[in-house]
Amino acid sequence: MIAGRWAARLHLPTLALAAVVVAAWFVLSWRYGAFVLPSPLAVLRGLVEIVRTGEVWKHTGASLARIVVGFGGAVLLALALGLLAFVSRTARGVVHDLLAVLNATSVFVWIVLAIIWFGLSNAAPVFTTFMITLPVVASNLVEGVESVDRRLLEMGDVYRLSGRQKFTAIVVPSIVPYLVAGMKVGFGLALKVSVMAEIFGVTTGIGYVMNYSREILATQMVFVWALVMILVMMATDKLLFDPISHRLARWR
Amino acid sequence: MAVTLEVAGVGKDFLIPVLDSVSFTVEAGEFVCLLGPNGCGKTTLLRIIGGLEPPTRGTVTLGGEPVFGSGRHTRKVGVVFQEDRLLPWMTLRQNVELVQTPLGRDAATRRATAHRFLALTGLAGFEDYVPGRVSGGMRQRAAIARALAIEPDLLLMDEPFGALDAQNRRIMQGEVRRIWRETGRTIVFVTHAIEEAVAIGTTLIMLSARPARIRELVRNDGRVERAKLIDDLNTLIMEEVERQQRAP
Repeated sequence: MIAGRWAARLHLPTLALAAVVVAAWFVLSWRYGAFVLPSPLAVLRGLVEIVRTGEVWKHTGASLARIVVGFGGAVLLALALGLLAFVSRTARGVVHDLLAVLNATSVFVWIVLAIIWFGLSNAAPVFTTFMITLPVVASNLVEGVESVDRRLLEMGDVYRLSGRQKFTAIVVPSIVPYLVAGMKVGFGLALKVSVMAEIFGVTTGIGYVMNYSREILATQMVFVWALVMILVMMATDKLLFDPISHRLARWR
Repeated sequence: MAVTLEVAGVGKDFLIPVLDSVSFTVEAGEFVCLLGPNGCGKTTLLRIIGGLEPPTRGTVTLGGEPVFGSGRHTRKVGVVFQEDRLLPWMTLRQNVELVQTPLGRDAATRRATAHRFLALTGLAGFEDYVPGRVSGGMRQRAAIARALAIEPDLLLMDEPFGALDAQNRRIMQGEVRRIWRETGRTIVFVTHAIEEAVAIGTTLIMLSARPARIRELVRNDGRVERAKLIDDLNTLIMEEVERQQRAP
């Protein structure tokens, strides 16, 4: 029983699978050569190397800084749209349609347009991140706005709560879980998308350094940076969003 | 302070007329039970009295002040809905405190008042629980505590025990009756259960089938034997239920 629980906590079955994958990786790497598939050891060595030289912080920091600006801007505008949808039914319809269009637009459209409009600069990944994450966060918020229980608002009317009291006591707590869920998905998307846009025109960031590694035929570094991306994503989920969601769910 | 409630010629049309014309007066401190077949407009009438929905015809006055007119009336109305309508993210105490803020009470008074009414409704010791952690009966008690905490001139209750099992329902009826005696509030209580109405109300008003009028108004002052009163009212409500089923 106890052994079973520990096995689950340590993700033992997952680790066992990982061991099999790494073993297969060794074999395939040996069979096809380091250029196509570098060995796990080479990747590990590369990871140690970028941590030692501090390069990992430089590029991860650059990517995260762009995400903070693009994604942060998207969250702010999403909040404004959510508020608009809350106060006006007409606005809600317009916001809905707008988000449907944005949701249907491909990442590549924004990357190409960003390069045309802003040239090869920081603005391209920031803009792309902004345009891609805006509909994700805003759709969640609008859904949250629609889910506010009218019966609770009516209760607020009965007891003559002011508009502000109703907003802080009823509306905000109803919407926050939707906002956090939207931000969690949006942040994951932001990381993936901004890295893609970094291939063009900038000289820092995970996307840039990955593409550069490919050009200089350092395939093991492509794997290393992919690993860094995965770790960053998992860390923000575990250290940032999960604790927040957990805290919010306390009353459930 | 409990006040007199006057309902004069109140009617309401949605797509069809729901309430035809209803008039009655509730004296301060009375406990009125509104009875009637399901879907006859009891809840609509209660919502009109509570100012949640304007009537198509007629007027409602509370202590001489019109409920629907220019501006808000100054009377305090507490409502206990069919559902508890507690804020799930707040503790029971915070729920009861919240509704007192518009009254301009300071934090210490709000807290003390919440404590007093939660104790009165049998929730002492559960103040810091969130609604999701207590039973349905306890949630409904907290909703009653919340309504009482504003010291309402009029307390409206809309089938508040509908979701409770028979035992809890019996217990809550006794509790409401006791709270009414201890606080002396004017209460209008909607129910479709005749036994419940006879057990707790001082005045029983039976509405007819849609469009509703008053079918019968009985003083439940012990002059008529309870068993006979229940029988008579049961006969009346069966007639009205049949009438409502025959109507389109």
